[in-house]
Amino acid sequence: MPAAAPSADFVAALREYQPLLRRVARLYCQDADDRQDLFQEMVLQLWRAWPRYVPQPNAKLSTWLYRIALNVAISNLRQRTRRPAPTALDAEALAVAQTADSDFDADDRAVLYRAIGRLSEVDKAFVLLYLEDRPYEEMADILGITQNNVRVKMHRVQEKLRSLLVPAA
Amino acid sequence: MELDDLRRQWQQPEPAAPPLNQADLNRLLAPRSDGLVERMRRNARLETVFVVLVAVAVPPLIGFADNFLLRAEAVSLFLLSLVLLAYYYRKLKMLRLMTRLDGHVLGNLRRLCAGLRSMLRFNYRLTLAMAPATLLLMYEYVVGQELARPGGVRTAMLIGLGTAFLAAGLLLQWAVAATTRRYLQYLYGQHLDRLEASLRELAEPAPTPAN
Repeated sequence: MPAAAPSADFVAALREYQPLLRRVARLYCQDADDRQDLFQEMVLQLWRAWPRYVPQPNAKLSTWLYRIALNVAISNLRQRTRRPAPTALDAEALAVAQTADSDFDADDRAVLYRAIGRLSEVDKAFVLLYLEDRPYEEMADILGITQNNVRVKMHRVQEKLRSLLVPAA
Repeated sequence: MELDDLRRQWQQPEPAAPPLNQADLNRLLAPRSDGLVERMRRNARLETVFVVLVAVAVPPLIGFADNFLLRAEAVSLFLLSLVLLAYYYRKLKMLRLMTRLDGHVLGNLRRLCAGLRSMLRFNYRLTLAMAPATLLLMYEYVVGQELARPGGVRTAMLIGLGTAFLAAGLLLQWAVAATTRRYLQYLYGQHLDRLEASLRELAEPAPTPAN
């Protein structure tokens, strides 16, 4: 049981941003159990950090949440599940936003997800923030590097992804 | 097929997640103990309790000791427990800092790597120091007994025993060093290697534009 009941504003924030945390977990973990485990860890760390959160006029709550979520995902210091990485994503991961997009089918998506799965934890952070459509300024704020560096590394990650996709294409 | 294609889909609204009820929240916020830092904190707290017990139990023994060397040995143990208390205070403080994850990713990686590295180094040195300290305390006790012996001090026996202690100490030190290094690498090394690789990757500066 938690030490104290979560405050109403925390519960409200969690309800609003739960999809964000789940998207981070989905990008970092291909296995459903690991994904749920990571999601739970992010929520727990968020709750622990919540008393220190001070709303500021120029800072978005989402930036703060991305920092915690990515810190948990990258520095995941848990005993990792000792099973081989799956070669294909499970149904939940593949079902991500399966809206009508005729020229981008499930197979293409699976190939791209597999390529993302082979990136380093840090590269995945760039991919996530790119997919989340965060501006370079916010990416720099979340990651702690300069905007120029974000731009350069983002370009490299895209190149890396392309090179990973070439043999599979 | 590019990342942009996936981005278009990624940003489509997802089906609404089921609302979290109180039971879900309790489950999500239940303290977990399988994290590395949490495990280190729990171990450090247990060890601190043990050291506090020693620090509290030893001072009365100093008064009861019937000869100077036994008293000196109790004082040494007490001083050692004070050093350990200072160490555990520092360790717990560092571990508390390592659980703060609301800073930017680069800063968090730096803090984690520095904290873990320093903790492992200190653990290793402390473990290495323990074997000679224990042998020294044992030898100190033997010398104390010998000095209190009515028949006088057997110098040759003390030198022989001292040499045996030294040889045993060297052998022990070699074994302890090798075992501790392997054990720490097994427990924490893989995590540290992974974190340091991430830190190097993120901290690598962007190339300056050519003139």
